Amino acid sequence: MDQGAQPIIKLENVWKIYRLGKAEVQSLRGVNLEIMPGSLITLMGPSGSGKSTLLNLIGLLDVPTKGTVYLKGKDVTKLAESELSVLRGRSIGFVFQEFHLLAYLKAWENVEIPMIFQGVSKARREMRSKELLALVGLEARVDHQLSELSIGERQRVAIARAFVNDPEMVIADEPTGNLDSINGKKIMEILINFQNKNGKTLMIVTHDPNIGAYGRQRIFIKDGQIVDEVSAFGRKLI
Amino acid sequence: MFENTKEYFKMAVRNLKMRSLRSWLTIFGIIMGVFLIMSLLSLSEGIKMTVEKQLMSLGGNMIIVMPGDESNPMASMMYGGDKLEKGDLTMIEKSDGVDTVVPFDYRGVNVRFKDYNKSLAIEGLPIETGLDALRLMQGWSLAEGEWPKTGKKEIVVGSRFREDVFDEKVKIGDEFNIKGKKLIVTGILNSLGAKDDDAAIFMDIELFYDITGEKRGTARMAMVTVAEGANPNVVAEKIKDSLKRSQKKQFGSDDLNYAVITAEKIKGIAGDVLGVIELAVLAFASIAIIVGGIGITNTMYTAVRERTREIGIMKAVGAPNSAILSIFLFEAGIIGLVGGFAGTALGLLAAWSVELYGQVHPMFYFRASFSPWIILFGLTFSFIVGCAAGILPARRAAKLRPIEALRKYE
Repeated sequence: MDQGAQPIIKLENVWKIYRLGKAEVQSLRGVNLEIMPGSLITLMGPSGSGKSTLLNLIGLLDVPTKGTVYLKGKDVTKLAESELSVLRGRSIGFVFQEFHLLAYLKAWENVEIPMIFQGVSKARREMRSKELLALVGLEARVDHQLSELSIGERQRVAIARAFVNDPEMVIADEPTGNLDSINGKKIMEILINFQNKNGKTLMIVTHDPNIGAYGRQRIFIKDGQIVDEVSAFGRKLI
Repeated sequence: MFENTKEYFKMAVRNLKMRSLRSWLTIFGIIMGVFLIMSLLSLSEGIKMTVEKQLMSLGGNMIIVMPGDESNPMASMMYGGDKLEKGDLTMIEKSDGVDTVVPFDYRGVNVRFKDYNKSLAIEGLPIETGLDALRLMQGWSLAEGEWPKTGKKEIVVGSRFREDVFDEKVKIGDEFNIKGKKLIVTGILNSLGAKDDDAAIFMDIELFYDITGEKRGTARMAMVTVAEGANPNVVAEKIKDSLKRSQKKQFGSDDLNYAVITAEKIKGIAGDVLGVIELAVLAFASIAIIVGGIGITNTMYTAVRERTREIGIMKAVGAPNSAILSIFLFEAGIIGLVGGFAGTALGLLAAWSVELYGQVHPMFYFRASFSPWIILFGLTFSFIVGCAAGILPARRAAKLRPIEALRKYE
């Protein structure tokens, strides 16, 4: 990692507070964090610790109640949703636990979606989507409807979609959460392989210590604050 | 930019196809609205053109004098009223710029022909002096036979007597019995352009007085032709002055109880009436299309709710608000436009069917209007209604925050 490089994401004293009726829930409490380009990070924490909230802020899917989020040095906290969409499309790819694919489309059509909004031509989109699907081992399934694919294959389509715009950072939220151990292992191999090959930043959110162990930088979160491993889980897991 | 727009359009079409039943039901709502607009507009425009055509036959140099109020001449035409007296007709004849005066009287009577009996209009006019004016100004001509002679019990009949006035076709030489008098058909007219006129019986006005017992020398109305080079409006004023003098002589007051109307004025009155009818038709038909528009809004709101997750996914992977807005607006616009095409086609078909019916049915002559402007109006209007109806749901979709949209499904 280049020590002089600018963090791709930087969080400065970030708070996220939700109001549920009269009650106030402090999901994140003064989080400071820097994510450097090319790093492989795992974010771990018990249920309700604020993992997903932090992930949403890092992925520009949400904005903080207080504090500042920087993307490559640029304050994105005050940007409108439409501007955040454009930034997300260019800089960040997502792999969700629920895959979030469109069931009525073919595998390659799901992969091409992020490129549509970047104005990529149809021919280029099709070529690039099929190329990415080949990289995740689905070259024979490119024209299959989503309903014809297994759960593990669907997650591989989601991975191909996350990388298709060549983003600087990919965020995977419990990518193996819905998979059996064999498929989970395959998915992790594909993700790590992608990260190694392209030198992109990869952030994996998980509660599984085996997955967490993949991280070269491991972040633990508890009660909305970044803590060490023992504070988070009461013992060393990895 | 164009590549993106094309893709958004394709996405919109795909989304509509996926919910084809609901899409078609919504489209059906628009079809009904546009169908009503198109059929009613074509028909009312057709009525306008038909009436204008008939009024054209009056000729620019024709003035009509009839008893009643000038501001509402139709009332006395329909409900009767005073008649023009002999003195009035003489005064009209003497007015400056008047060429010919053709007094005209009409009445509904029972007509017997062979074993048939029917209530029909008989019209009396001076055959000898008025025929030239009628031939020239209103295009009267005989399809067969000859004009009746003054002093003889002869009549000419409208063109429909050869077709369907009676169950049996009327021929030259046939005999009609009206109020006990036997009358011989000597001629059959070519169509006069109005179905009522084509089912009327025409005779010399003297014979008319004999049959009906109406006071001799009077008339229900008079058609006046203007002398060569005279201005019809000026002549109309002169006629009014003459009539005022006649009134004063008869009743001691010059309050004019006659309408003196130029052909130009009749066209104006008819145009106003038809304009109001057309406006009313448009207003009612617009309500139908607005209801269709509300259907689109409803469908699109349902689509936004159903596709919240999809919208969330698209925004998470980089769809700007404008993309989501475009996709939903395209969907609404396509519903409007497809409904517009089908509604326009059906509406024109309906108008055309009415026109065909009008041609075979004895009640009226009828033309529908199929101008490109009406078609363009129908298509543009439906597309605009579609887009307008889609704006609110599309804005709601575009403004959805991805995190909220995705959270709903976790």
